[in-house]
Amino acid sequence: MTAVERDAPRVAPRAAWRLTLGRFLSERAAVASLAAFALVLFASFAGGPIVSAIVGHNGFEQFPYATNANLDPAGVWSHVPTTTQVRLDEYGAVLPPPKDASRTLMVLGADGPLGRDEFIRVLDGGKASIEVGVFAVLISALIAVPLGCLAGFYGGKVDAVISRLTEWVMAFPLIFFLVFATVHLTPTLRPIGWGHHIPAGVPMVALLIGVFTSFYPLRLVRAQLFTMRNAEFVDSSRMVGASGLRIIRKDLLPHLLPTLLVWGAVAVATDMLLEVGLSVIGVGVQSSTATWGTLLAQTTGTIYNAGPGGGGHHTTWHTVWPTIAILVSVVSLNQLSESFRRAIEPWRR
Amino acid sequence: MKRIALFLARRIAGGALTLWAIVTLTWLMYWSISPQPGRFVYPVGIKITDFQLSDGAHRLGADRPKLTQYGDWWWHLLHGNFGHQWSSASLSHNVLTTFPIAPTLYPSLRETLCILIGGALLAVLISVPLGAISGRRVGSVADRLISLGALIGVCTHPIVTGKLLTQWFGIDLKWLPAGGYCTFVKHPTPAGYPPGYELCGGPVAWTTHLIMPWFTFAFLFLALYTRMIRASVAESIHEDYVRTARAKGARERRVMARHVLPNASLRVLTMVGMDIGTALGVAVFVEFVYGFSGLARLAINAMTGDPIASATDLPMLLAVVTVIALIVVIGNLIVDTLYAVVDPRTGAADRPGRTKEIAAGVM
Repeated sequence: MTAVERDAPRVAPRAAWRLTLGRFLSERAAVASLAAFALVLFASFAGGPIVSAIVGHNGFEQFPYATNANLDPAGVWSHVPTTTQVRLDEYGAVLPPPKDASRTLMVLGADGPLGRDEFIRVLDGGKASIEVGVFAVLISALIAVPLGCLAGFYGGKVDAVISRLTEWVMAFPLIFFLVFATVHLTPTLRPIGWGHHIPAGVPMVALLIGVFTSFYPLRLVRAQLFTMRNAEFVDSSRMVGASGLRIIRKDLLPHLLPTLLVWGAVAVATDMLLEVGLSVIGVGVQSSTATWGTLLAQTTGTIYNAGPGGGGHHTTWHTVWPTIAILVSVVSLNQLSESFRRAIEPWRR
Repeated sequence: MKRIALFLARRIAGGALTLWAIVTLTWLMYWSISPQPGRFVYPVGIKITDFQLSDGAHRLGADRPKLTQYGDWWWHLLHGNFGHQWSSASLSHNVLTTFPIAPTLYPSLRETLCILIGGALLAVLISVPLGAISGRRVGSVADRLISLGALIGVCTHPIVTGKLLTQWFGIDLKWLPAGGYCTFVKHPTPAGYPPGYELCGGPVAWTTHLIMPWFTFAFLFLALYTRMIRASVAESIHEDYVRTARAKGARERRVMARHVLPNASLRVLTMVGMDIGTALGVAVFVEFVYGFSGLARLAINAMTGDPIASATDLPMLLAVVTVIALIVVIGNLIVDTLYAVVDPRTGAADRPGRTKEIAAGVM
């Protein structure tokens, strides 16, 4: 040992993940998108209960006096009477609410002829939408990783069958498969849920979206394994007698994690948008449950009831609020994925 | 030449295989969901007797052996005949009346193709200059603005774009019709309409009705293609051949048009080929927002079924699926041919980079 080596301060080498994290946090867009998505998460999961506690009503309660006599909903920041029964005169015409009726605040007004709180529904809708996105991504990863590993590592006939199948399905517009499957599975699968935490219909939509979008990660995993299966570290594992499954599990899966992370962030966003598409067509979560998709579907109408639901008693704002929510979360997730990629592969700017 | 012919022959065979696979998959999916075709004959809601179910299926010919029906369907298709639809079947005086599919299918196909072709042209026309501007100076103000716009475009669901466009330009400002389709040729008023009633039609009405659908359709692809052209331009602008062209004294515009952009066109072609399926998925929502009764709408209606009968109209579904698969296959064939023309190196080789970008939740 030379003097220089002995006298040098001992610095522990920084782990690879620390370097990656440092690169990630040093980018402004990355931090901004992370903060934006954290805000969306907080607003969707905690926002609904917090706002309910402050204003004193939840997103399911209907206030008949939150609409006027034409059933047009109350506007932004309006205090509506909490009277739950509409008073009628002897001719059946609607009477104004009693003067001393207690009033409650609707931050973004009412959601339509039913007179529910639009703000709380947008917040609650975020919860269901994000759950759909996250569950769907987990399900497609569960399907894609084993199949992709088999196809990519072993190649041959298994690979031929799997890649041919994915090519066929990818050539065709996915939405048709999704609608077809959803329509026919709705009676059996839609009631599944867990109270208000996981609204009924969310597991079904997540399952179907997850299954039908698993072709994309499957191809990703397969391609990545193709490039790695003849690498030296795999050969050396094989030489010491490791079985194929062990090589996949111990040597190759850790290398897949970054790829899956980059894909996952975008896929959550994509799956949320697929849910919007399904709801707008009218086959997703049932329309009484708030998701960003059903909130938009209210204003566009579905195939089952053409034209805006509730006879057009909606304003442009009822399209704009869910749109802003969707845009913020999807843009931040996309940027997040892009920043992940840059942090993981700094050489590929 | 021979190599290109061989390459195309292989592609045609592959396309035929895809068509067969898609139709067979649809067929298998339909028969695996315990369908009730008999409901189309006796549309009496939920209370339908077992006899009515079996009799209805018998009258529609849906109780024959499955393989017979399958072969029969292909036999009819090879004769250019899609058969009869099940929905709108009506039984009176013990005679079943059904309507042929083709008269419903072809007008719908026309509407969808109008949206697809017009929207695709618009997307390419706008995205090439935007991508070139953005890719030439990475990091400039123009590049940042365009990239941000592209990010938002990639994240916006077509239903949102369409909804906001109709609301603003159709309903609030009343600049353009808020929905509906007009034929390019004005047809005379058919008999039975009140006097003075005119059918909507003619080139001007056709264009005004299609402007918003085109933009809605193009917005998503615009964003995708701008991103891609930007990446390609930014990559090739530092290549040696570009520097050589500049050194020879070529003008900037000529350098872009002759040396940089042709390189990007290869990637664009690859993407167009893969996005034809996606485009039909986008068309679902465009047709939906603007109230068109196009192909995608027809497919969704056939799948979700008659609201009364709540069953899937298999012949109609198969017909639409076949036409959609044909559009995908033929479109890919055209793209492949163009590819072989643009890039003389290709022949037997596969197109590079066959990974599909996903955008706005439409795949």
